[in-house]
Amino acid sequence: MNNLTSLQRKLLYLGGILLLLIPITMMGMPAEPAQAGNKGSAGGVLAQKRDEFKYGEHDLGNVDPASSTMNLLLLGFRGIATSVLWTEAIEQQRGKDWAGLRATTESIILLQPHFLKVWHFQGWNLAYNVSAEWDGVADRYYWVKEGIKFFKKGRDRNEQYAELYWYVGDTTGKKIGRSDEAVIFRRFFRHDPDEARYGGGPDPFVNPNSRDNYQEAGEWFQQANNTIETFHNEQHIMAPYLFRAYPQRAIFDQAMALQREGEFGEVCRNIWAEGFTAWTTKYGMMDLDCEVLGHPIHLEVSGPELQEMKKDEDAKGKEDWFRQTVWIGKYQDQANYTYWRTRSRVESEKEMSDAHRLLYEGEQALNKADPATALKLYVDGMTKYDKILGEYPQMKNEDETVEEAMLAVMGWQKSLEYLDEEVPEAFPLKDIWDEHPLRRPAVKSEFERRRRAGR
Amino acid sequence: MRLSFNPEVFDLLGGFKTWLAVMVVLSIVVFITSLVMSLGALGFAGPSQVLMHIFGGIGDLCGTSPRRCWAMTQLTFREAVRRKTLLVFAVFAVLFLFAGWFLSDVTADPDLQVKNYVSFVLRTISWLILPVALLLSCWGLPEDIKARSLHTVVTKPVRRHEIVIGRILGYTAIGVLILGVMSLVGWAWIKRQLPDSMKSQLTARVPVYGALSFISTEGKDVSEAVNVGDENMFRSFIEGNTKARAIWKYSDIDPAQFSGSQGLVLESSFDAFRTYKGKIDKQLLCQYTLVNESKKLRVPLNAFEINEFRRNSYDVLKQNPTLQDVDGKPVELRDLMTGGTLQVEAACLSSAQFLGMARPDLFIRLPDRPFESSFFKCILNIGLMMFMVVVLGVVSGSFLKGPIATVLTGFIVVVGKMAHGFLESLVTGDVSYHNPTVKFQGAGPFGALYRIVTHTTPGIAFDDTFFFRTINALDSMALNVLWAIYKVFPNFESFDTTEYTANAFDVPWAEALLPSLATTFAYCVPWIMVGYFSLRLRELESK
Repeated sequence: MNNLTSLQRKLLYLGGILLLLIPITMMGMPAEPAQAGNKGSAGGVLAQKRDEFKYGEHDLGNVDPASSTMNLLLLGFRGIATSVLWTEAIEQQRGKDWAGLRATTESIILLQPHFLKVWHFQGWNLAYNVSAEWDGVADRYYWVKEGIKFFKKGRDRNEQYAELYWYVGDTTGKKIGRSDEAVIFRRFFRHDPDEARYGGGPDPFVNPNSRDNYQEAGEWFQQANNTIETFHNEQHIMAPYLFRAYPQRAIFDQAMALQREGEFGEVCRNIWAEGFTAWTTKYGMMDLDCEVLGHPIHLEVSGPELQEMKKDEDAKGKEDWFRQTVWIGKYQDQANYTYWRTRSRVESEKEMSDAHRLLYEGEQALNKADPATALKLYVDGMTKYDKILGEYPQMKNEDETVEEAMLAVMGWQKSLEYLDEEVPEAFPLKDIWDEHPLRRPAVKSEFERRRRAGR
Repeated sequence: MRLSFNPEVFDLLGGFKTWLAVMVVLSIVVFITSLVMSLGALGFAGPSQVLMHIFGGIGDLCGTSPRRCWAMTQLTFREAVRRKTLLVFAVFAVLFLFAGWFLSDVTADPDLQVKNYVSFVLRTISWLILPVALLLSCWGLPEDIKARSLHTVVTKPVRRHEIVIGRILGYTAIGVLILGVMSLVGWAWIKRQLPDSMKSQLTARVPVYGALSFISTEGKDVSEAVNVGDENMFRSFIEGNTKARAIWKYSDIDPAQFSGSQGLVLESSFDAFRTYKGKIDKQLLCQYTLVNESKKLRVPLNAFEINEFRRNSYDVLKQNPTLQDVDGKPVELRDLMTGGTLQVEAACLSSAQFLGMARPDLFIRLPDRPFESSFFKCILNIGLMMFMVVVLGVVSGSFLKGPIATVLTGFIVVVGKMAHGFLESLVTGDVSYHNPTVKFQGAGPFGALYRIVTHTTPGIAFDDTFFFRTINALDSMALNVLWAIYKVFPNFESFDTTEYTANAFDVPWAEALLPSLATTFAYCVPWIMVGYFSLRLRELESK
């Protein structure tokens, strides 16, 4: 080698480089999409494998050039930079530096764009923890929106994963619809408090179609289900047969939210009816995987069908573990299928909505210091409620039924107390009242909370 | 838009006295050490050599020629330009070209958005200028010695300290040029990037801070109010609808200041803490009472709702067109300020709810200054920090080789900028978060070792026995050594006044600028002396 001249050495290096370029090109050549007049190409081995196993950045979601650039620029220091940023974010949250925290979360996701837990943690943090730190209800709503927007950004970067669709739906539904500020948040969802920016309408980034929050949430839950079907990436949040129910559960949630806000008319009954149809024809007829049986099952099964199945299984002498009827029962129990089926049917009846309305109006009258009216409304409502529960006894032991019945009895007792009247021995809903003595302290606490809040 | 620390007026005289004392002690120690070492190395001729160098040094300093310094400065400047230092502008330009992409949609809240933009610009300038200053200054002299170009210089009638000063001024000049351009571009970028609707947030509020004390729920004078369990213990909380009050006493108030178009404006940013949700759509109520103790005047003002984490501006005369004392008698604002003092009591009116406050959370707001006032003062502080890095770099380069000088200077800068608080907590034993009242017992290494071995918690004091007295004495010695090490590192954290500017406050003279100037002077004088003597005593052929 030492005998070679400088030119010879350079030519040798050049030859080596060209030689190495051949396998590199074969391995690393990028794929070229087919266009008009051009068949395109599958690319090198790496491109083909990337495509086969969906490892490409574009397969996961929208490509953010900033994120890719940052990761390249940091070379091997991404882990260190990420740790520093996480520490900084925690310190900023402790110090209540919200501007800093928000900016740091953006930097973190530039470095960890496909780490789902990061999106989950920080999205939740913004929507739940940071929003709770603010005293102004409009400010709290702002931070809930920040959380939702953060999840949506995560969805854009990770389109194949149902989790982020579900988080958007869950926060839009549960945080806005079930928090202590639910009534105000639900109003803000349609009429954003930042009037200067949104002109009294909704924030288009969180509610583009100006809908009820649960309708919007239902849409995201449905997209989560569609994503699983399209990309065959099962989510890791809960059992699949529970996860699939969320689009329909959002309909029930919407109806219940309207009832909590005092809406018991036809609109609400129609939503319950819509929920019943969706529950029995969509979720109930959905093919749900059952690993033990080796074939899917569905939960909407009529009594005769079930009898037929059972007879067949008896005839074949199947053990319980391998019986379809047993698995349908298990799934139904865990999804509370029968309860929601019955409840949505009952709630869509006028008699039931009247009972709810009377109890709601009784509570309102009591809060307005009108115990005489409250007493009458409570008695009428409790009587109607008792009658309906008599027709559908399977609903009597459900949590929500027990709570509503006990709250009604407490309101009724309070009205009697204000009127200096004795509590009679017999009264409607007495069986539920007597059957759940251990629930009373918790319900009492809720009753007092509502009284304080003037609901 | 509030401060997370307590801005305190710098005690210039006290600081100067301490500095002078340290300098005298240090000089004596160095002198005695030099005498002893010279005796060992050169025998009885040693001390005379030491004295000769000292007197020579004094003579050199007295004969400093500004012309020669200027020549060295120009040479250094040209060298730095030749070394393509100005390429840093390219990095700066790239960052600013694309920064808008990342910052514009971070948040829609105007307060938070402005804070992010301003912080970004100031941090970027700071983080770009310091490495440039560090690398230039640390490699200058060692490279000159290595390339023997310094040999040519020292043969000229130029004194060694003029080389050091010329180097420092040259690198500072190039740094100032870079900093000036960067700050102008950064300022224009903020102005251009921010939407018109947010531009009104770009301002420099001028606060007057008072001394804060509290009255407890039972009506007793206390220095701190209730701790509601907040991890950040910077703020104390007063309970609503009780006797609890937070009292700010303002001094040196000139009533004439508040007679113009902008009357007396009190601006607050209190924390709200609820023990129960209450009326969710209603915010907690606060009431101010203006007090003049000498005249026995108490003027309760109309209550207002606290908007947490926002600026709660309260124009006293607009909210209360007629001021009345507790007996309903009309009162003039100037009556409340006799003697140049004003006392403001804050009370929470919402039952069983709490308001949290620290000293900077309520201030009298004087007419705002333009944003540029705050921005360029912040840049001045960055410039001072850069100057210190240059001095440190040149001095370490005068006795160390380039890479080692870089590591040493970089280490001092990193510790001074990022770990000064940690060092302070080691020395003082104040290790809990924002809680100066909690101090661990036996915070020294020997006490800590004893506690680790015996599984004793730090909250328990040692018994008064000979054994523990010895441990405490050893700890005391160790902590004093640690204190000396801690003081060697300049507190670069105190140079960072971004929080003022980003939170729309003017950078105050006595609380922020003066300490930076004093710290720069205090550290640079001895460092330059070290640099001079290092170069004077150094054998240049020893590369």
